[in-house]
Amino acid sequence: MPIHEKNLVDKNRLLVKEEAKLDGLDVSGQWSTFIEQRILGDYSTDVLDAVASTPAGKTIVNCWQCGTCTAGCCMHTDFGLREFNPRYFIYLAQKGAEDELKKYAPVIWRCVTCNKCVERCPKGVRVEEVVHSIEGYMRSKGWMGDTPASRWDEAFVKNTLQTGVLDELALTRSYVSREKLAEFNNRFMLRMALKLVRTGRIRTGPLRHRVKGWEKVRGVAKEILEGGGDG
Amino acid sequence: MSSPRILVVGGGPAGLSAACDLAEAGANVVLVEEEGFLGGTPKKLHYSLIAPDLKPVQEVLDPLVRRVEQSGVEVMLNSEVASFKGSGDGFHVEVRRKGGPLESHVFDSVIAATGFAHWDPHKKYEYGYGVYPDVLDFKDFERMLSEDNLRRPSNGETPKRIAWLLCVGSRDKQVGKFYCCRMGCVVSIKQAMEVRQKHPEIDTYVYYMDIRTYGFWEDKVYWRSMEEFNVKFVRGRIGSINRGEDGRLVAMAEDTILQRPTEVPFDMLVLATGMEASRGTVEFAKLAGLELEEHGFIKPLQSDSLPVHTTVEGIFVAGTATGPKAIPDSVSEGSAAAMKALNFARRKAVAERQQTR
Ligand SMILES: Cc1cc2nc3c(=O)[nH]c(=O)nc-3n(C[C@H](O)[C@H](O)[C@H](O)COP(=O)(O)OP(=O)(O)OC[C@H]3O[C@@H](n4cnc5c(N)ncnc54)[C@H](O)[C@@H]3O)c2cc1C
Ligand code: SF4
Ligand code: SF4
Ligand code: SF4
Repeated sequence: MPIHEKNLVDKNRLLVKEEAKLDGLDVSGQWSTFIEQRILGDYSTDVLDAVASTPAGKTIVNCWQCGTCTAGCCMHTDFGLREFNPRYFIYLAQKGAEDELKKYAPVIWRCVTCNKCVERCPKGVRVEEVVHSIEGYMRSKGWMGDTPASRWDEAFVKNTLQTGVLDELALTRSYVSREKLAEFNNRFMLRMALKLVRTGRIRTGPLRHRVKGWEKVRGVAKEILEGGGDG
Repeated sequence: MSSPRILVVGGGPAGLSAACDLAEAGANVVLVEEEGFLGGTPKKLHYSLIAPDLKPVQEVLDPLVRRVEQSGVEVMLNSEVASFKGSGDGFHVEVRRKGGPLESHVFDSVIAATGFAHWDPHKKYEYGYGVYPDVLDFKDFERMLSEDNLRRPSNGETPKRIAWLLCVGSRDKQVGKFYCCRMGCVVSIKQAMEVRQKHPEIDTYVYYMDIRTYGFWEDKVYWRSMEEFNVKFVRGRIGSINRGEDGRLVAMAEDTILQRPTEVPFDMLVLATGMEASRGTVEFAKLAGLELEEHGFIKPLQSDSLPVHTTVEGIFVAGTATGPKAIPDSVSEGSAAAMKALNFARRKAVAERQQTR
């Protein structure tokens, strides 16, 4: 049968053959396109178990799929990234639909941590954290590598661990140079730094804030971070 | 043996039912109601048609009110229980009519039928109640329907498209209300049917997570609303309301079936506000030493098998004072509590007679 409106079908599921024969009959041309089945053959508890066992992901079990989070999600609505749908990520994780979840590796890290979802969820799901935890699971499976967001998280933790208080300027500087963000050129950075330091809003370098007795706490914090999975 | 003396607090469907059954069974009944009329919250807030048969509220409740008035119940309107003390010979109660002196009574048993109140949607600020005039709650909209005055408060025009949002102040951890209001679905759908009946040109949409029209409400209300009235249903909960162009409201929601964000303009939004224990319920419980359960309603002695007993012997409870329910359930519980209260009073009288002999 010729397939109309191919644009409605998920690209990965369209199989086009140069030559196709059915029962010895040549059906190439218009007739050579097939749609792969997308029947879900089974549910699995793997993803849910993994996510629910992380500190960040444990509230995933509360979710009843109302869609309030997605309705207000900045990424989904304001930035118009339709594929970024926290409710749907949670559903896929709950049902263990790994094949479908995998497809979202290119977007799942795009959360901007605005926390509107957490503020509004009627069931007390820590949506933003849960999505991060699902992302952590996906990374642990090798479905995605590091992302600008995960590199930022990493740099953030590393920076904070030094004295117990974040040095924003140092963090931004190291991140910007590593990511080669053109918008944040030297002039821009210098102006921002001067302004922030002068108004006393930021203390950097040797002047940065420190937590008293941090050396002792740092060991414990490190241990938790390493033991607690994706944070 | 003299007639048992029984106090009924609250003149809504539950209290009315209890009072007239007791009077017809020969008890001396005092019915204390804080408002100046009988009929309870449906009368106070001017409800329109009553589900599931879509009868006007007067047709449902007025016969009950008349029966109470004709059965010899002593009705005390504009009155409140000022003090309450239980002791061996009965419950010593002082009642005050507004502006009047205290009246002292002694009762053998007591029924609390102090009812519910609507949850206040101001607390859910993202829906803009109190900010956008076209965002209404249940009581506003019921009143509008009963007065046959369906207009947008913002500009007085007839709306072209109305949305309902279910579960506002129910099933929501953010506002500390964990339970289902039981009435919100059926009432919203009923309202949409009422709108479509009178104004077929108005388009109606109900935003839901699940539809809970249990029992006969399923076909009599939910199915009928789709099949006969073409009420439409969107599966998704509105995240917030924004102001749109030309002063319309924009419902920001995810249509979870379409799996995409929707920003659809409406002329009016009705919030299906939940039920909570009325102030009168909480105050009377405190006065009489009744325990409350975890959602703030009066706690039945056993929620499964003793639903109209309270944690205090001789005090019974009926209707929405123990949790959300519909009118027929409230009326049945009124009768059930009447039976229990009467039996309690009779047993007490027999015991007293045996003692004095
Ligand atoms: C919007 C809405 C629509 C509804 N529509 C329907 C419907 O279509 N069909 C249906 O079956 N049910 C409907 N219901 C449910 C119905 O309103 C209740 O089941 C019913 O009113 C409960 O009766 P009640 O006697 O328990 O309480 P109430 O009706 O609340 O009556 C309690 C009475 O007690 C009085 N009172 C309270 N405290 C004191 C005190 N301390 N001292 C003296 N007096 C006191 C109050 O003034 C009030 O008159 C609806 C509910 C809502 C919220
Ligand atoms: S708002 Fe909460 S309950 Fe609703 S879909 Fe999102 S995470 Fe799930
Ligand atoms: S915190 Fe992330 S997931 Fe939540 S609303 Fe904001 S962008 Fe969306
Ligand atoms: S009855 Fe319907 S509107 Fe009310 S809380 Fe339950 S599901 Fe929500």
